[in-house]
Amino acid sequence: MPTSSIVASTDLDRADELRHVLTRRLDEGELDLPLLPHVANQVLTLAHDPNADAGKLATLIQQDQALAAQILRIANSPAYLPRSPIVSLQQAIAWLGLNMLAGIAFSVSLQSGVFKIVGYEREVQLLWRHALATGLYGKEIARRLRHNVENAFLCGLLHTIGKPLILHVLVSDRQRSMRLPWSVLEPLINEFHIPAGVRLAEAWALPDPVQETIRFYQDDRYHEARSPTKGAVITCLADHLATFLLDPAEMEEDALRALPVIRDLNLYPEDLTALLDLADTVRPSVECLIV
Amino acid sequence: MTTAHYDIVVIGSGPAGQKAAIQGAKAGKRVALIEQEFEVGGACVYRGTIPSKTLRESALQMSRFQRTAEVFEFKLRDDVKVASLMSRLDHVVKTHGRLMNDQLTRNGIERFHGRARFATDREVQITTVEGTSLRLRGEVIVIATGSRPRIPESIPVDHEHILDSDSILSLVYLPKSLTVLGGGVIASEYASIFAILGVQVTMIDTADRPLRFLDQELTDEFFAAFYKSGGRYVGGQQIEEVAWDGCSRVVTRLKSGETVLSEKLLVALGRVANVESLDVQAAGLDLTSRGLIPVNHQCQTPVPHIYAVGDVIGPPALASCAMEQGRRAVRHALGLDPGLDPEHIPMGIYTVPEISSVGLSEQEAVGRYGGALVGRAHFHEIARSQISGMTNGVLKLVADPTTERILGVQIVGEGATELIHIGQMALLNRLHVESFVDTIFNFPTLAEAYRVAALDLLQRRPSRSSVISRDGL
Repeated sequence: MPTSSIVASTDLDRADELRHVLTRRLDEGELDLPLLPHVANQVLTLAHDPNADAGKLATLIQQDQALAAQILRIANSPAYLPRSPIVSLQQAIAWLGLNMLAGIAFSVSLQSGVFKIVGYEREVQLLWRHALATGLYGKEIARRLRHNVENAFLCGLLHTIGKPLILHVLVSDRQRSMRLPWSVLEPLINEFHIPAGVRLAEAWALPDPVQETIRFYQDDRYHEARSPTKGAVITCLADHLATFLLDPAEMEEDALRALPVIRDLNLYPEDLTALLDLADTVRPSVECLIV
Repeated sequence: MTTAHYDIVVIGSGPAGQKAAIQGAKAGKRVALIEQEFEVGGACVYRGTIPSKTLRESALQMSRFQRTAEVFEFKLRDDVKVASLMSRLDHVVKTHGRLMNDQLTRNGIERFHGRARFATDREVQITTVEGTSLRLRGEVIVIATGSRPRIPESIPVDHEHILDSDSILSLVYLPKSLTVLGGGVIASEYASIFAILGVQVTMIDTADRPLRFLDQELTDEFFAAFYKSGGRYVGGQQIEEVAWDGCSRVVTRLKSGETVLSEKLLVALGRVANVESLDVQAAGLDLTSRGLIPVNHQCQTPVPHIYAVGDVIGPPALASCAMEQGRRAVRHALGLDPGLDPEHIPMGIYTVPEISSVGLSEQEAVGRYGGALVGRAHFHEIARSQISGMTNGVLKLVADPTTERILGVQIVGEGATELIHIGQMALLNRLHVESFVDTIFNFPTLAEAYRVAALDLLQRRPSRSSVISRDGL
């Protein structure tokens, strides 16, 4: 996401003030964590229930009309190429698959729920777009490694869940009429999103591999992750690939190819080329998942 | 591009490649070892033997806990995570990797991390993970690139619902049900491991019984244990289609019309040699019709200074044999005496219960000697089995009907893969059945089964009733 290099001194003062507030609230556990939306919570539970079936998920999603409508829209989008129009939730579930649908339902209910931040809709959408691309790339990296891909989407989708949370906290801490420039907010979001995301993940009791990914997905931390799902290291690369896809000005291909995480995943140049070739598949999938 | 010169270049650091490299170094040669993964050890350490045996050991421990839960008044969690079962894996793999690395370093072997490709019959080009290239020239080149799971084109492995024997090791949770395609060693091992973990397992294969190459008594015992764990075997079947239903089940349609539904499916239909990126044609080699590298009994390819060892040359695809192939190939290349041809190589199958075999089976002995003396020890007769609660199993001793020399040993039961080595030594030393009767073993031990089986065999001898004729089988 582009950041203006010119930051007014008053903005710097504001940034210092906000940093102080965020530090104190994180230290004192006063982050005012939003509750996980009821439907998202149940979807997550259901996705990890070995007895889950399409009928249960359809019943759950039907409780939220907006969510049901979004899922039907996504299932009918060109990115998922339905053989015939998808007209029912049962049909959508069968077409997209239980796990993918659970991820979509989770993502949609968060986008339109707790993290709908008035005045910053565009920025939040950019954050979600990046998270979705990370989730989709995560699956492909895992597949390339002949590793189980099951957790990769959720790890990628939620690895920066602390970012909208920090934005939510910063914005709700100010008078709504005082719109803070993104150039002030973005560095703070980047600085605090991991501890905030960890708190949120614990409060929401997200699966252990997801919590570990949030904590350790960055380049200088993934070595500390211990989960055999490799969520953190896979998400680290997926995060870079998402940046390269959505904001190519941020990273040149040579710089991407030189990332240590690629070596640490033992991906050879032809493996990375194959992943980059997936851009035309990942991009439309991301767009159709955005609410 | 500069070219570095070596006496021996070994491609692949699995059991075969390692032993080839160490043999070369011990003979005073300058050796280069190329490995495309970070660590040495190959699939054996990271995707095959070591991880699956670690999972097996954890599954067995859990099974033992469950059996004794009432005695010690505790309860295991219902939702055991695969990650918990594999928690020891990282430690086991790292320790093993460190030991191998130390051994290579101690022997002065130079390691290269990258993918190898033949440039000529004497030169190998390495592409590193960073994309740089270098070239090595070897007076002798040993190919030991191993194998990977074979995936028929008609089966859509996605590593999410439909898995292979690599991706099954990174399962996040235990599925409720698992279909296993195949009836060979890998299929039987995973099927029996997941069955004792409480997963509803269905094995499907073209053969009428799994592990067909083994003595039927052994497979019958395996079968009984597998069924007791809740497993099911659907034999004599052809697969019509495998597909994920897009929702919650993998659907396996058989040509017989039967449909099997499961949460996950494991494809275990053999392995294929890792040869694609080698460009062996550039070295003047052609592959066999099965995609293997052709070799003679010294593991020498048609290009005399190029050898191939391990899975890349096909059966028996045992780590133990691969190590010996690596060692012998290099000794042959250097003009050193490779020693006697290895005889009586045991086979170990890490199913639950374990199966192991050495020498001739009863059927093979009848075929070769016109009959066979057979003695059995059932594990429930052995005190140590009673103590450990592992009473399923049998040790079968096969002997020459004329000389009573031991010809083979087959064992099914816990400890079989260790216990077999007593039989192997008996075969190598051409011992007779009475040796086991005259020998005093520790008591109580599983080894006592040898004595019990020998006594059983001799008890049958006077009437000669156990000399089974060819017609009698």
